[in-house]
Amino acid sequence: MESVKIKQLLEAYFEGATSISEEKMLQDYFNNEKVADNLIQYQPIFVALKAAKEERSTMVFNLPETKPQTSKKWWYSVAAILVVAFGVGSFYFSQPSYTQEEKEALATFEKSKRAMMLLSENFNKGTERLTFVGQFERTKDKIFE
Amino acid sequence: MEKTEFLALTMPFKDKLYRLAKRILVSKDEAEDAVQEVFLKLWKGKKNIENYKNPEAFAITMTKNYCLDRLKSKQASNLKIVHSNYQTSENVEKNIEANDGVEMVFRIMETLPEQQRIVLQLRDVEQFEFSEIAQMLDSNETAVRVALSRARKTVREAMIKKYNYGIG
Repeated sequence: MESVKIKQLLEAYFEGATSISEEKMLQDYFNNEKVADNLIQYQPIFVALKAAKEERSTMVFNLPETKPQTSKKWWYSVAAILVVAFGVGSFYFSQPSYTQEEKEALATFEKSKRAMMLLSENFNKGTERLTFVGQFERTKDKIFE
Repeated sequence: MEKTEFLALTMPFKDKLYRLAKRILVSKDEAEDAVQEVFLKLWKGKKNIENYKNPEAFAITMTKNYCLDRLKSKQASNLKIVHSNYQTSENVEKNIEANDGVEMVFRIMETLPEQQRIVLQLRDVEQFEFSEIAQMLDSNETAVRVALSRARKTVREAMIKKYNYGIG
């Protein structure tokens, strides 16, 4: 590229009046072409600017592993529901429930209890009657002294 | 937003943030810390990042503000920034002899006022449009152009001096 054109671009460049594409032309010229002797003092500027863009950081940036807050709250409510459901459920299911065999045994137990009661009532009747025997004894003693 | 999504969105401009941070803070370590901090902030506010039309511009503004704050607090506490990667004066002189004026251009850039440094970085290195830079810096295009022109001229003066009188 002719150095007159570059000189004009440089003038505009230092006034802050060049466009991005014009500045790219300048960078290209000073980095890749044979620079005219009367412009050589400007070369380091554009070489430096190009070099500055090549700079990279090798550092690895860390991000903290944070679970979103909302999902935690969601878990709390699920846990609470489970605890309540378990409590209520265990109350209901802990009510006595018998197997067929146990029911039969229970029925037999009831029956024999009734039978025992009957027996005991009759015994009591018998004991009442025996008081008369006692009375008879006392009267007999009085008579045959 | 998932971590992978977030990284896919932000990684393309990671190096731009780093270069800007380094331009402002000069030290490599300081710049890396700054970018790490900016990424943490972006990650915490990731619900909002999707709402911005231009996450890159938003991240650049954040980096600029963070670095300027760092610089201010350093100056306030009267601490000198330690550049672990900054060459000693003997090294710089050797490099200037070896490396044309490139090293010298970098050294001059470090002496520019912060605003000019930032504008020069965003325009001449990252090649953003004036309108984009104005938006990132919460400024206007004219002010950006003026700052840029001043920065470029300062560099030019130094280069002319060097070439007229030898190493200045």
